[in-house]
Amino acid sequence: MSMLTDSNQIIISTHNLNKKFGGIVAAKDVNLSVNTGEFRCLIGPNGAGKSTLFSLLCGIERADSGEIRILNKEVTKLKPFQRIKLGLGLKFQTNRAFQSLSIKDNLSISNNKIQVMDNEIAEERYQLALSEFKLKSEGAKLARELPHNMLQWLEITMILASFPKIVLLDEPTAGMSVEETLFTGSVLKRLNATGLTIIVVEHDMQFVKDVANKITVFHEGEIFYEGTAEEVSNSEEVKNIYLGRD
Amino acid sequence: MKHLLNLIDGDKDIGRGNKFWAGFFLVLICFFLYPTFVSSFRASNTAFYLLNIPMGFGLCLIWGYCGILSFGHVAYYGLAGYAYGIIAGNLLGNSWGPILGVLGGLVVCTIISGIFGYFVFYSRIQKWIIPILTLVFTLLLETFFVQTSGYQWRVGRVLLGGFNGMTNIPFFQIGTFEFEGYSFYYYCLVIVLVLFFGLRILVNSKFGQIVIGIREDELRTEMLGYDIRFLQCVTFIISANLAGISGLLYVQWGNYITPSQMGILQAALPVIWCAVGGRNSFIAVIFATIVLNWLSFTLSSQGNQYALVIIGTLLVITMVFFPRGIVVMIFEKMQKIR
Repeated sequence: MSMLTDSNQIIISTHNLNKKFGGIVAAKDVNLSVNTGEFRCLIGPNGAGKSTLFSLLCGIERADSGEIRILNKEVTKLKPFQRIKLGLGLKFQTNRAFQSLSIKDNLSISNNKIQVMDNEIAEERYQLALSEFKLKSEGAKLARELPHNMLQWLEITMILASFPKIVLLDEPTAGMSVEETLFTGSVLKRLNATGLTIIVVEHDMQFVKDVANKITVFHEGEIFYEGTAEEVSNSEEVKNIYLGRD
Repeated sequence: MKHLLNLIDGDKDIGRGNKFWAGFFLVLICFFLYPTFVSSFRASNTAFYLLNIPMGFGLCLIWGYCGILSFGHVAYYGLAGYAYGIIAGNLLGNSWGPILGVLGGLVVCTIISGIFGYFVFYSRIQKWIIPILTLVFTLLLETFFVQTSGYQWRVGRVLLGGFNGMTNIPFFQIGTFEFEGYSFYYYCLVIVLVLFFGLRILVNSKFGQIVIGIREDELRTEMLGYDIRFLQCVTFIISANLAGISGLLYVQWGNYITPSQMGILQAALPVIWCAVGGRNSFIAVIFATIVLNWLSFTLSSQGNQYALVIIGTLLVITMVFFPRGIVVMIFEKMQKIR
């Protein structure tokens, strides 16, 4: 933790971000800021706007109003690939590894080296994921032949292959067993310890409590609550929105 | 050098390893020896099958590897042909004319396909519309060239010629050496070979891998930090130039071009070659282009009116029983047996 408090610098932030899909409010005055090296978890009921926020950050969706800053640079008008090149990596909610290509091809396509500086540490992170997730020996296999947990690990490793500074993981442990979830959490924590900023959308509260420095709770497109795992799990209001006791 | 050989032998096309290349070079030797056994006329006819291969390559690249179906690659075939005719025709007697004509043809292809590609890819239209747009574009060109009859439609001293097309287009020449008959056959063969190896290197390189990534999942590839629209545009320009090379060879072979070369019948042919052979393999496209051109040429020269019907039937059979192409699927079967 000491390393984190030293680098108390905002790496990605939004300012009064708004997005509507027809009548549905997906983001309402969202002010999120994440520090360098932080492990942030976003939680909230289905449809609370967590995945939409990722889409807005990456530029897949354009915000109706508001501002997004990545590494102190205003990116609201940048195209998706230009934002990614600043050092973003996104794992989609539904796994989007290239199904009909081999693992080796999946990884070499991803090896974009978007980040020019700190290549060594980025390479280190990539190698860590590669060996922990045991993907090296499976190189010739097609992605679609992998079990679901391996597919999730493959997509996480693909993102690290592009040498990002910030990774956005949308439900990285969906469909995994308890042991696999715990293992994924431990690897992500080791990656985070190297200074990688990680933002995760996740429903598995055990996983969230295990990894997060700070939790942001979304509800109906708004930031509803922000705090440590302990604060969030003790909050009556958060319990209410999850159980629908509004 | 070793790196290049590895790229040529890469796994993005069927046919790898020593056995394959031994067979490949054996067939190649047969192709090189072929003219010694036949008349100049026959060699020239066979050159016609060869000269269509680059266009097949172009479609293979954009459709098979990049996942974008262009139904109008003959537009670039025609444009390059007309551009060559205009430039080389005006410089008749100048030995640099044909070379400038070739360069001019490729420049025209690059510019037009660049503009077309820019609007198509940067406007983020849906993929299924692209075949229709490309087809409409080539039909527009055909319609335009059909109405260019009469003396007022001339560039310098070359008449565009309307429906009857442009005639008296000069042969290709380097210095004073003109390529016709046997020499034209070798000229085509060498071009096809160079393009084949060049494209194998391209699709096995990093660029090719990203292009395949775009085919598999555009958004995923973009979210790895690639400017996919630019890459799609570049691939489209390369493939248009390949079609242009075929168009150049065609006018150098037959010394004429008509607007019907950009018509709907011609537009369908390269798609059929790729579909029947296997759209993501250059070797399969070579195979299918030669066989299908030979088939339709032989059938129609025997007075058979059903050439297109037979080719169409073949396409239907392929789509039902060999969805990934006859050559590709036979090849995969053979590898399994081994």
